[in-house]
Amino acid sequence: MGLFVPKLSLSRRQLLQWSGLTGVSLLMGSCDGEPLTTQVGKAFEPLNLRLQELLLSQHPVPEYSIKEIEPDKLLINTFDATPQIDPAKFQLKIDGEVKNPLQLGMLDIQRLPSTSMVIRHVCVEGWSAIVQWGGVRLRDLVTLAQPKSNARYIFFKSADGYYESWDIASALHPQTLMAYQKNGQPLSADNGAPLRLASPVKLGYKQSKWVTQITFLTELVPMKGYWEDLGYEWFGGI
Amino acid sequence: MASSSMPAKRSKSPSAPQQMLLARIFHWVNIISLFIMMTSGLQIYNANPVFGGRGGWSFPSFLLLGGWLGGGRNWHFAAMWFFALNLLWYGLYIFITRRWKNRFASSADVKVLKASQNIKRKNYALHRLVYTVILPILVLSILSGLAMYKPAQLYWLSALFSNWQTLRVVHFLAIPTVIAFVLVHSWLALKVGGLRLVKSMFF
Repeated sequence: MGLFVPKLSLSRRQLLQWSGLTGVSLLMGSCDGEPLTTQVGKAFEPLNLRLQELLLSQHPVPEYSIKEIEPDKLLINTFDATPQIDPAKFQLKIDGEVKNPLQLGMLDIQRLPSTSMVIRHVCVEGWSAIVQWGGVRLRDLVTLAQPKSNARYIFFKSADGYYESWDIASALHPQTLMAYQKNGQPLSADNGAPLRLASPVKLGYKQSKWVTQITFLTELVPMKGYWEDLGYEWFGGI
Repeated sequence: MASSSMPAKRSKSPSAPQQMLLARIFHWVNIISLFIMMTSGLQIYNANPVFGGRGGWSFPSFLLLGGWLGGGRNWHFAAMWFFALNLLWYGLYIFITRRWKNRFASSADVKVLKASQNIKRKNYALHRLVYTVILPILVLSILSGLAMYKPAQLYWLSALFSNWQTLRVVHFLAIPTVIAFVLVHSWLALKVGGLRLVKSMFF
């Protein structure tokens, strides 16, 4: 069988990786966790990213009624330990490409206009839960910090070592909150107290808990996000 | 390409069936992309089983593609383009060339199934009926997939499925349905046109 290969240097390793596509390994599903799967992800992420950016709208996503909240369905996912943070000592730092870097305590944050929403929280695993979140709109914090015109991304650092980065359009969505309340109660430590991201337009892994620092960036850094660096797609829009 | 390699025909037998190149391409892309969609879909399923949730009933690893949830999603959201666009151009082609008028099952086929004594004629009508019915099922799998992929931006689409569990079940049901279709479709094709017909759809 003649393999048509355009004139470019194809290494032995690449050839072996691609041969998996036609071999029994694909049929048997045993090309697991390996280069070809990663390559497929990388090849299609730009296209899927475009589609997701195109679908993202700044209009609010329709909300659910209080009665529709599903308290038992919101599962707890954490990559490591659950930090216990004293809200009295907590400080949120906002820095990077901003004209007005600032630090806010929980009392400062709770004095800002508060928003409540009942939305569907969707996990990458496939489950979802209708949840009420209360907190400050991230866009209000952005207004306070006055990002420079070249700021295009936001990096979120969490107390447990988790990290995430978002496109600025999703961060400025009117229902993207820095939440301190869930289902009518103050946020619990398990759910990210004292402060976490909550938004109807992103998958759960984008919604960092225990956020301590918000940094504006002009370009994405190699650390795109904890799960992204392990192979999840970066945009994670829904 | 098929005609050049065709064996010499015996004068008695009717000429071997030949499919248009476009039809064969559609058929191939459909088979390969659906295979990837189904195996990567089961990989995604296992991250949180549709039946039973966390710790619920899951599929054995030899049926899975991707190795882990992230890998399964890589394949699923790559193959979706081939699967959906393939179906789209096929739909446009059938519509523009007006082939839809006589390509799919009609009331005449149903009448045959009810009344005809001719077994061959009946099998033919049944075959048409089966591959007509699979089309809306494939479209439904795309719609339920989109509703789950973008439930916030396509909230109106998700709302049609009443709730999340129903949506997941509907999307999942594409797999057993397609497997059943493949079996029945292949069997009927063999009965209707023999191996020659089946071969003509591939080569």
